[in-house]
Amino acid sequence: MKKYSQISIKVSDFSEVPFWKKANTIDLICVGYGLTIFILVLVSYILGATDFLPGDPQKLNLALLMAPPGTEGHILGTDFVGRDILSRLIIGIQAYFLPGLLAIAISLILGTCFGVAAGYWEGWIDTIVTYTSNLLNSFPRLVLILLMVAAFKPDIYYIMIVVGITNVPAVASLVKGKIQFLKQKNFIEAAISLGLKTRSIIIKHILWHNCRAILIIQATLGMAEAILMETSLSYLGFGVQEPTPSWGNMVQAGSNYFLQGNFWPSTAPALAILFTIMGFHLLGDGLNNILEGKRNK
Amino acid sequence: MAALLLLGVSFVVFIILFLSPGNPFNALLKEQAATGAVSDAAKRGLSVPSSWYTQYLSWLGNILKGDFGNSIQTGLPVLSEVIRVSINTVYLTAGSMIMTLVLAVPIAVLSARRGLTPTNWFFTIFTYVVSAIPVFWFGYIVIYISIHQFGVFPLASSSSSQGWSWFHFMLPVIVLGLGNGTISEVVRYLREEMSRVFAEEYILTARAKGASIWKHSFKEGFLLPITEIIASKIPFLLGGAVVVEQVFSWPGMGRMAWQAAQYRDYPLIMGITVVAAIIVRMGSLMQRVVQIMVNPRASRE
Repeated sequence: MKKYSQISIKVSDFSEVPFWKKANTIDLICVGYGLTIFILVLVSYILGATDFLPGDPQKLNLALLMAPPGTEGHILGTDFVGRDILSRLIIGIQAYFLPGLLAIAISLILGTCFGVAAGYWEGWIDTIVTYTSNLLNSFPRLVLILLMVAAFKPDIYYIMIVVGITNVPAVASLVKGKIQFLKQKNFIEAAISLGLKTRSIIIKHILWHNCRAILIIQATLGMAEAILMETSLSYLGFGVQEPTPSWGNMVQAGSNYFLQGNFWPSTAPALAILFTIMGFHLLGDGLNNILEGKRNK
Repeated sequence: MAALLLLGVSFVVFIILFLSPGNPFNALLKEQAATGAVSDAAKRGLSVPSSWYTQYLSWLGNILKGDFGNSIQTGLPVLSEVIRVSINTVYLTAGSMIMTLVLAVPIAVLSARRGLTPTNWFFTIFTYVVSAIPVFWFGYIVIYISIHQFGVFPLASSSSSQGWSWFHFMLPVIVLGLGNGTISEVVRYLREEMSRVFAEEYILTARAKGASIWKHSFKEGFLLPITEIIASKIPFLLGGAVVVEQVFSWPGMGRMAWQAAQYRDYPLIMGITVVAAIIVRMGSLMQRVVQIMVNPRASRE
């Protein structure tokens, strides 16, 4: 009897122990920080969408220009025309949220399709996918976006479509590598010999059970990418346009006063960007370490 | 393969501009003659091919002859203009690549060798912070500090030959090297590759013999990952260069691309995109050469 229980413990060692008990503390801290940021972003989006803000993001207050943080009524101070920075930061999420999701959706869906096709069937499909990935990787992303801006118009959705498409090769190569690794495993062979449909093997056994982790990780990194790209484009004058606030154009507008020594109007959104991007990066890398077991020693 | 890819690049650029709603003729005629008859006459007068594939082929033929057309804004030939400024961009990106590696390699080597000690953990967090900074805001901080600490306004062209020119050159390089947003990825990739190589059996053998581990792991654990990361990060650096050149008024390709996008200067932005793609492909060609030198088996792939 004792022996049996010992064996069962060993088996459970393999499969039943939840992944957060096996994980490194540092990775858990990273993921915790990232999740906090993620929830903050989500809450701010909902607050902005329901117009539940601490102040009016567009109301000018010329009596109170560039107030430092902690001023009465403006917790994070005011910008160079006296608008409440906290409300503008919260509503600034709106500029990223849906376009960022669009970029993520494009890169994940196309990347998964390409990756599965290249990894599962190989042959000439693989050649085509590799060629397309190399082709997309040949363009510096910002230059390609400037080309799109010159050809079409500076619209955040067009820009995010380009961001999504240029992220496709990264996702595709990850999925492809994973599938090539999985194809040598016995359970796929067993599934094939049991006569399961190819569709259900790919969707259930490969994508759902083995690829969801890398897809979630890519999604978090894609969101960080979208925010950074919008910031750069706002600086170049092609991002979200004033008076609609986005974090990028808040930094850009505030930085006109930076060299005069008024740091706060541009530092507040820049810090928001910094903590958010860091959160998404740490979330992605921490999840990668925990779920993909890169550092399980 | 590289030639085939560049052909694809030219095709993508062409398709984007072919699908664009704006008509280059309107830009050429300065919006004076948007009506059908006049622009048709202008097209015939300039002998523009009618169908899209003949347009593409004639454009491609001109490109292969080195004729990218003339800039709409300045009227100068695109290729010589782009090549003239691309030298500055190559300086900037190469300098910042070296800057990034100088920072990232020691951190990666330390944490691959020693594991995650508190010091390494601090440095790793530092790389995450640095790669999350919006690059132009970081540029403004650096400009502010340089004005107030050194009394120099670093917005000079790279060609200035005064006593501070090295300083002017260094600031954008430092800003782009730190703020291009790839340091954390570079550290992460190098660390993983190095730990993987350190765990290989031939390194274990070398260690057991008392031979130098660095010497044995240099090729696979150092040279290959570094060339790989350089090749894959060139596009990011060129993208970051667009912003940094704008902050520091650096007369490079990115600044030119920005101006071209503002004035919808089609021939110029097409030329810049193609030249940027050529630079990227040259980077991966270099990576391939190093890979074959290290591992001759790779040449058979």
